[in-house]
Amino acid sequence: MVNIDDLKKSHDIRGLIRLLDHGNSDIQWRAADALGNMGEPACDPLLRLLDFPKVNVRLGAIDALGGIKSPRSVDNLIRKLKDDTDDEVRWAASIALGQIGDPRAIPALEEALKDGDRYVRYGAIKSLEMLNWTPSDETSRAYALIALQDWPAVRKLRSAAVRPLIDINKDPNPVTRTKIVELLGEIGGPDAKKACERALLDRDPGVRWKAVFACKRCGVDTDRIPVILADRPRTIPSAFGAAVLNLFFFGSGYSYIGKWWGILVFLCYVGVIIIIQLNWDVLFPYMYTYPFTAVFAVQTYYMVKRMPDM
Amino acid sequence: MAQKKDIPGLIRALRYHDADIQMQAAKALGTLGPGAIDRLIRALKTKNKTVKLGIIGALSEIESPRSIQPLIGTLRDENSEVRWQAAIALGEIGDEAAIKPLCEALRDPDKYVRFGASIALTKLGWKPQDSTERAYYFAGMQEWMAVRNIGKPAIPALAGLLRDRDSTVRMKVIELLGSTGDKDAIPALMQSLGDDNREVRWNTVLAAPKCGISLPYLPRGLSKRPQNMKNPWIAGFLNFLLPGTGYAYLGKWWGTLIFSFDELATVYILKMEGDTNSYVVLLPVYLLLGFHAWYMTTKIPKDPP
Repeated sequence: MVNIDDLKKSHDIRGLIRLLDHGNSDIQWRAADALGNMGEPACDPLLRLLDFPKVNVRLGAIDALGGIKSPRSVDNLIRKLKDDTDDEVRWAASIALGQIGDPRAIPALEEALKDGDRYVRYGAIKSLEMLNWTPSDETSRAYALIALQDWPAVRKLRSAAVRPLIDINKDPNPVTRTKIVELLGEIGGPDAKKACERALLDRDPGVRWKAVFACKRCGVDTDRIPVILADRPRTIPSAFGAAVLNLFFFGSGYSYIGKWWGILVFLCYVGVIIIIQLNWDVLFPYMYTYPFTAVFAVQTYYMVKRMPDM
Repeated sequence: MAQKKDIPGLIRALRYHDADIQMQAAKALGTLGPGAIDRLIRALKTKNKTVKLGIIGALSEIESPRSIQPLIGTLRDENSEVRWQAAIALGEIGDEAAIKPLCEALRDPDKYVRFGASIALTKLGWKPQDSTERAYYFAGMQEWMAVRNIGKPAIPALAGLLRDRDSTVRMKVIELLGSTGDKDAIPALMQSLGDDNREVRWNTVLAAPKCGISLPYLPRGLSKRPQNMKNPWIAGFLNFLLPGTGYAYLGKWWGTLIFSFDELATVYILKMEGDTNSYVVLLPVYLLLGFHAWYMTTKIPKDPP
């Protein structure tokens, strides 16, 4: 039974830190709260946890540091905001920097407005607002508005928003990319036109579809759009790969292209191979099955070729 | 069959796979008048969804007050289409006894049922008594601007709509909860941070500060989202016991390939080396594969927020 209040009363920092890795998320957060109320003595042990391999522990430590509000943690939190590979940790760091309220964090938070993750960008702009930051020019205003996802306001910035929109188009979220392509199409101009053409090659079919309309609005020749679109990355499996797999390991080619029954076919095939191996004392029983599996390899090849890739 | 008044035959026809025949059978049953009511009500106890839908349609055509109570009962059917059809039928029959259950149906987790209940209540000339009832009614009609104008009193109705399985409805609800700017919306918003849909969670993050949720609480709410985490010990154990199945557990299509290779290799080695020597060769390989699956699982990144 975990009693956080007892640990808090006895100032058991180590005990509370151990709870940051608890299986129950409520206990984790209550421990982070308690550590956040411990003040400066908890600061050093928490700073040491910022590079802990487990994400939950890093999140709890950042949350507690945001509660302590020690200026000593600002540099480390800035480092986390810039370098941590986990999106949630960078997001938590951006929020904690706003809570601490130290203006030293402003340049790093401004840079975080260009982060590829929408949560980090949102945390950064909210913290910048808490630090009474105002954008120095139209470009930084555009980054701020994109971070707030205030799309009508971004649209009003016209050409000043193009560069930031292109920059943020690396966001892994297709909903954001779709919105950006739509806006670029509306704003237009040579840079926006190029970006819309690039969006025709996006890995997400929804973004590509939106890019078709955006390209048209930007003035891309209608007959050029299908040519660019034809170069898009394939999202369906390789026909050749599926055929080879079915030739040598009959059934696995079907599994590879996502057919649930491929494994059943494969297991039957392996069963036959084992029977041949055991009963006829054949060293390479596969040799006898190749003429049969070759037929299915060809069939698989054409099956994949006919699969739609939108 | 309609001319012969063959009610069992027409009810059987409701099971037909052809939608046109189902419709014709329901219409024919509806023309049989009050004399068919008792048999139709008895037949309503069936488990078959299409039969229930046809019978409700027929009862709606007959418009007898005797069918009100059985139809009210079907408003609690497990199938949402049956509940929807029942709501529509109660509106068509036009008996005021249906008003209370239809008001309850405005709280149904399914948008079709809520829509049917709103339409039925309109037909019955019902008027919402207070802001909360008005919120449920307009939410049922999907008139979101009207719900927005109600403001704070709409919060209980909106919070209830978060049970809807349609994520677009939940997103709309979150936006409206944010627009109230009231702290009463906080529990519903905190709950939605753990929604299973990524865009609902994101919309909640945008709406939460408007209602006074402080930013540090957002990562906490999001940490409650469903995670498709795989257990490294299960993956490791499976791969040790049946090499390849640990990889399959992790969703790798080639896991089964390795499993079958192992089967073949084991048979081959047993044949060549005998029992004891085989296990001396295979055990370290199995241990290695078990450790590899365990390690691979620990390196799988968390689902993005």
